[in-house]
Amino acid sequence: MQLGLKIWRYDSATGERELREYELEAPDEATLLDCLDILKDKQDGSLAYRKSCRMMICGSCGMRMDGAAVLACKTRMYDIAQEGRVPVISAMGNLPIVKDLVVDMDPFWDKFKAMWPWLQPGYDRPEDGREYRISQERMNVVHKEALCINCGCCVSECNAMESDPEFLGPQALAKGMRFVGDPRDGATVERLERYSQEHGIWDCTRCYFCNERCPKGVDPRDAIAKLGAESIRLGIDRDMGAKHAKWFVRSAETTGWLREEELIPKTQGYASAIKQLKFGASLAKHGKVRPVPVPHTAKDVGEARNLRKLVREQDRQGALGHVQGEKALERLTHGHIDASLEEIYARPGAAPRPWLPEVEEEAKA
Amino acid sequence: MSTTETGATSKRVAYYKGCLASLSAKELDTSTQALAPLVGIELVELESVTCCGAGDIHEAEPDYYVHLNARILAYAEATGCDTLLTVCNVCTLNLRQANHMLQGDSGLLARVNENLATVGVPPYSGTVEVRHLLWEIAEGEGYEKLKRAAHKGLKGLKVAPFYGCQILRPSKIMGFEDPDRPWSLERIIQACGGEAIDYPAKIKCCGFPIIAAREETAMGELIQPVEQALEAGADVMVTPCPLCHLSLDAWQQKLEASTGRSFNLPILHLAQLVGVAAGLDEAELKFKRHIVDPRPALERLEV
Repeated sequence: MQLGLKIWRYDSATGERELREYELEAPDEATLLDCLDILKDKQDGSLAYRKSCRMMICGSCGMRMDGAAVLACKTRMYDIAQEGRVPVISAMGNLPIVKDLVVDMDPFWDKFKAMWPWLQPGYDRPEDGREYRISQERMNVVHKEALCINCGCCVSECNAMESDPEFLGPQALAKGMRFVGDPRDGATVERLERYSQEHGIWDCTRCYFCNERCPKGVDPRDAIAKLGAESIRLGIDRDMGAKHAKWFVRSAETTGWLREEELIPKTQGYASAIKQLKFGASLAKHGKVRPVPVPHTAKDVGEARNLRKLVREQDRQGALGHVQGEKALERLTHGHIDASLEEIYARPGAAPRPWLPEVEEEAKA
Repeated sequence: MSTTETGATSKRVAYYKGCLASLSAKELDTSTQALAPLVGIELVELESVTCCGAGDIHEAEPDYYVHLNARILAYAEATGCDTLLTVCNVCTLNLRQANHMLQGDSGLLARVNENLATVGVPPYSGTVEVRHLLWEIAEGEGYEKLKRAAHKGLKGLKVAPFYGCQILRPSKIMGFEDPDRPWSLERIIQACGGEAIDYPAKIKCCGFPIIAAREETAMGELIQPVEQALEAGADVMVTPCPLCHLSLDAWQQKLEASTGRSFNLPILHLAQLVGVAAGLDEAELKFKRHIVDPRPALERLEV
């Protein structure tokens, strides 16, 4: 196939920046990474990018194509070439660029290390000296998080990190959940205390870019939600974000609808909320908040209240409440058994259809 | 489909207005109620429903979240409608996500139904589809009716579409449009005779979910669409989400205070923007409830 690429070239030593256009000939099955290899080999040896395994395991080749973070080795170019599109390739976001498509991963690894990414001792070992066996049910709690290959695609587009560079971010927090959810780890409470601080769990802005971009199906936002659920289950709820979340629960079981007017004082505390009085007055002027918040109660709210009492007795607290829905959500990606391959590949966000060589198709026919 | 007195067909939907449209964004409810018949939608209002949890109950008590949303879906199903209509991104994500969980796992659905029965809620069999008003009027019958209804036109008004997050991502849960290249708001703006302006932050976060707990971080997100839309020449901005609306409209004054700049960018709910083009009046649009008054920008349309 004939393909065009526009690549943002950059040199941090000189500060020079240029969008350069390339034309190349590549095999039909070529990935973006294959194309970069061809360019570097045949046209421009000075092009800088990272790679290693070429098979979606090492996590080295994260970069942006048309503004969206991708693994270059997972991205087939055939359809783009057919459409005649010339995609723009650039370095990942939220990390400093060293040269061309290579970013400085140090800030990424610093946050990774801050999570204590190893098992902490303290769990009960089997008395008979045998190996520690974990049930499938418990393993499911961290199954998705354990798929992470540290590529940084989630971090690249994290909206909260763009605003607060100190935010631990989706990769580090998903890694944190991988240890919080591991029954062999002996530091669950210490971890959650640590992750709940400023720039932690409760800084996530729920933009869902991380879930959208992750090439491995980790769904980091859902991992952060699991951390939030575990924190609240264990009473680690001093952070304003935790109080904010708890107020929604309280509202649902008392009036059914969110008690909006009390949300800011319940989150920030009444003393801090006083600073917001002027702001509150501006909202009151336009009828956004009422001077006296009379409860706005939903019909049959007793059902919602009883439902909470009931489910709290049923041993699906914390992260387990998230895990129970994962199987069904995975089907959205991988399809129900009754769906045809055509239907599955036609789904929005579905994995690209693997390229099959012509010879095989002929053989089948 | 049912037939109205005038002989036109309309689609009957269960209408879930959510918390904000019930209280701080009442203007969203009144404009949606007034617009619906003009675009062929018959709203069946749900009575015994609660908050969807807005992502917060999902995070804090996920098992309760599934049950609370199942209860909403069950009452929607009991109306006999196939569609649960939402007017908020966050409601859309929370309800669609719970719906997928229940529809895709018969074991979970059975357990939830047993709990619903214990507290006296009808069972949910999984037949409802959760759809946002945006999707209803961006294509198909709704779009055709919208084109006819928007007879007054926006006369070239420059409108910045702001999608917000939870109607685009996660796209596997939404299943409507390309989350990186959405088109629905632009199509509606153009059908109403407006000019849709383009800017990169239209698909990014407004900061609302953390605006109470991490205001500074949220402000760093909020400024991007406001600044970029104005730079691209927007007269007004439109959003399908009342939470985005609240941060963009009400917190804009805080952006002005912290930057010392004047933005004065009016933010319209989707139903209001279409409502203006369809000739709804102030009693239904209720622009006086906005912090940044859109009327000066819209009055220019009258000449």
